[in-house]
Amino acid sequence: MNRRRYVWATLIVTLLAIPAGYGYVYWNKSGPGAGVYSREWKPEPVHAYWDPDRFYQPVQTVQGEFKGEQCIACHASVTPGIVNDWRASRHASPGNGKPPVYCSACHGSNHQALHMPTPKICAQCHERRVAQFMDEKRYGFPSHALAMERAVDAKHFADKPKAEVAACLQCHSVATKCDSCHTRHRFSAAEARRPEACLSCHSGPPHPDDDSYFASAHGKKYLAESARQDWSKPLAKGNYATPTCAYCHMANGNHQVADKTIWKFGLQEVNPNTSANEVRRGAWIEVCSDCHDAVWSAAKLKETDGERKQAWVRLYKAENTLKDLRSKDLLYPGATQRPAYPMDAMEKFFPHARIGYLDGQASAFYNVSPIERDYFEMWYFANLGAYKSAAHGDSAGVSHWHDRLDRALAGIETEAARLHTQGEAEKKKLGRRADPGRLWRDGEYTDYNREHN
Amino acid sequence: MRAWLLLFALLPALAAAGKPPAGKFSNSECVGCHAQRDAALIAAWRASSHARTAPKADCIACHGNSHAGSNARARHDEVCIDCHEKLNRAVVHSYTTSKHAVIVKLQGNAWDWSQPLARGNYRAPGCAYCHLHGAEHDTRLSTTPWDPFQTSVASAQETTLSRRQSVCGDCHAPRYVAEQTGTGERMQKIARMKLREARAAMTDYQGVLSADDRRTIETLFAGMQEHGRNVRLGVGHQSPDYQWWHGQPALDGDLLRIKGVIAERERRVLVERARSAANGGAKPGQP
Repeated sequence: MNRRRYVWATLIVTLLAIPAGYGYVYWNKSGPGAGVYSREWKPEPVHAYWDPDRFYQPVQTVQGEFKGEQCIACHASVTPGIVNDWRASRHASPGNGKPPVYCSACHGSNHQALHMPTPKICAQCHERRVAQFMDEKRYGFPSHALAMERAVDAKHFADKPKAEVAACLQCHSVATKCDSCHTRHRFSAAEARRPEACLSCHSGPPHPDDDSYFASAHGKKYLAESARQDWSKPLAKGNYATPTCAYCHMANGNHQVADKTIWKFGLQEVNPNTSANEVRRGAWIEVCSDCHDAVWSAAKLKETDGERKQAWVRLYKAENTLKDLRSKDLLYPGATQRPAYPMDAMEKFFPHARIGYLDGQASAFYNVSPIERDYFEMWYFANLGAYKSAAHGDSAGVSHWHDRLDRALAGIETEAARLHTQGEAEKKKLGRRADPGRLWRDGEYTDYNREHN
Repeated sequence: MRAWLLLFALLPALAAAGKPPAGKFSNSECVGCHAQRDAALIAAWRASSHARTAPKADCIACHGNSHAGSNARARHDEVCIDCHEKLNRAVVHSYTTSKHAVIVKLQGNAWDWSQPLARGNYRAPGCAYCHLHGAEHDTRLSTTPWDPFQTSVASAQETTLSRRQSVCGDCHAPRYVAEQTGTGERMQKIARMKLREARAAMTDYQGVLSADDRRTIETLFAGMQEHGRNVRLGVGHQSPDYQWWHGQPALDGDLLRIKGVIAERERRVLVERARSAANGGAKPGQP
């Protein structure tokens, strides 16, 4: 009798908990911002352009409904650049007797309810490409299609003042609009095929795709010969003298960029030989084989496997050194002596330094102790520089970044030894840990950050 | 009829009079002639840093030494980049990692660069389009002052802001420009806060620091000044990487390292004091 009661109670609790959990997540996502911390922040006005579906509000300046020709007639004098672009685009002259795709097809015709085009709107005509792009979501991170979610769900993004992190969404908007690569209002495929189209986002310390590609044999050949290349040709075998970002990552124009990622972003160690990764390896070899021998290509991929293994030996050593300091309460300032880890309710009750990818390392780059920051830079900058160099075939870059990894590890170990000695001396002489106090907790920006999300 | 004939006969002569003279010229010859033709332009150039700082960017440096194609030449990015890359790579790199620069690089070959730098003539802005828009040769009008320790907006900046609103407005909607500018200003304000927080900590704890500490901190602070300028360049040139990776998180890193040097010195002094107190109250060693 009793047993039956337990079964029922468990069943009812479970049945209530599941919808309650969904409800809680839904509630969290229904705030003025976006993502799982949407209730914690309000967008900057410019965010309307990076995630128009969620934030864009039309202007109320002009009243009335307009047809395509009318838009063009007026905007030719108001915004001539846009109209010139459109006139030179395939939208203006699609060919095969098809009618032009006017402004109203993407922006609407009621001037007080205009919208900014999203992938959904582009999909009205470009259904196959948008479907390929959306299919990336199946593969998780990293992908273009999930880039916006990834940004707004990052704890540091939610925590920091929105004007400070405004530029994050400028790149991560690759998920929410199509003109990141096909710039408005020309929307040219030829433009998006060039590596430069990618580098306004794929550059900088955590993803030096530009530096590593241009330093590789492929990139050097591109720089020397790009002027002679016909960029209107599809990304297919025989059409290009040298591969570009798009040639390999978007072979045959496939807008699915996530399905071939073996090492993901280089942020976690992965087993490169799972059955799924062997399938991806096969797909890479197929692309490389457009120009290279298949056996040679397979060996090149193995080189990156080896590079990743070497990088992770160093990264784990550094990570374990930090975890050891954390377990002995030797980080200075420790987790209780500095502003709480961003956006984490539990942090208030159990302050704790975030070390390692799964622990939220990606947001642990401010308000942390110097040695934690050193590890962040080792993991996010030197490690990713090494990975990108290896994957893009820039061997000088691999040596450069591995040297940086070595030096970072040596620095972390020296600093850890010092923290040990100093911590022990304190315990012995003071009988307690020192506390940097207001130096770490207060300050003009630190206070502002605490009060502004 | 005769009057018409006379006019036709005179036309080539009139055209020749309006035509810039052929041949090669020195900079003083350019200035000498153009000061009479367009005194305001020469005065604007004289006021700009191009004329006032070394290496001087004179007429010939950008326009070449002959009239043929001289305007088209000066409008190309390469002319600016040649010099500015050597002066400060960040200035150029923050532009080349923007969408504007990418479009100019990929498509500029097909454009007619003899057209004036004005609305509707260029698909994307090169350096000159914004900084010498409408042939304005006082380049100071297109740059915002960067004093990280100022708290209020200087009045000189008003001209720059209204000019920016109109230049960007050649291609973008007025609301878009105003909002981008507003966010950019707030982003720079935050960068300034970080710099001031670091400086305040340096001043407050001046007494505890050793000479070595001060040197380390000064190097870190110089780094912060550079990251702050990167934010400004990122905003002006619309490079996401300079606004973020070369800017804000870099500032965070050096700020916490400055605090780290101070905190480390403080705790050492504490232990020293405790040690000397235990040794019978001798004076603690100088930090």
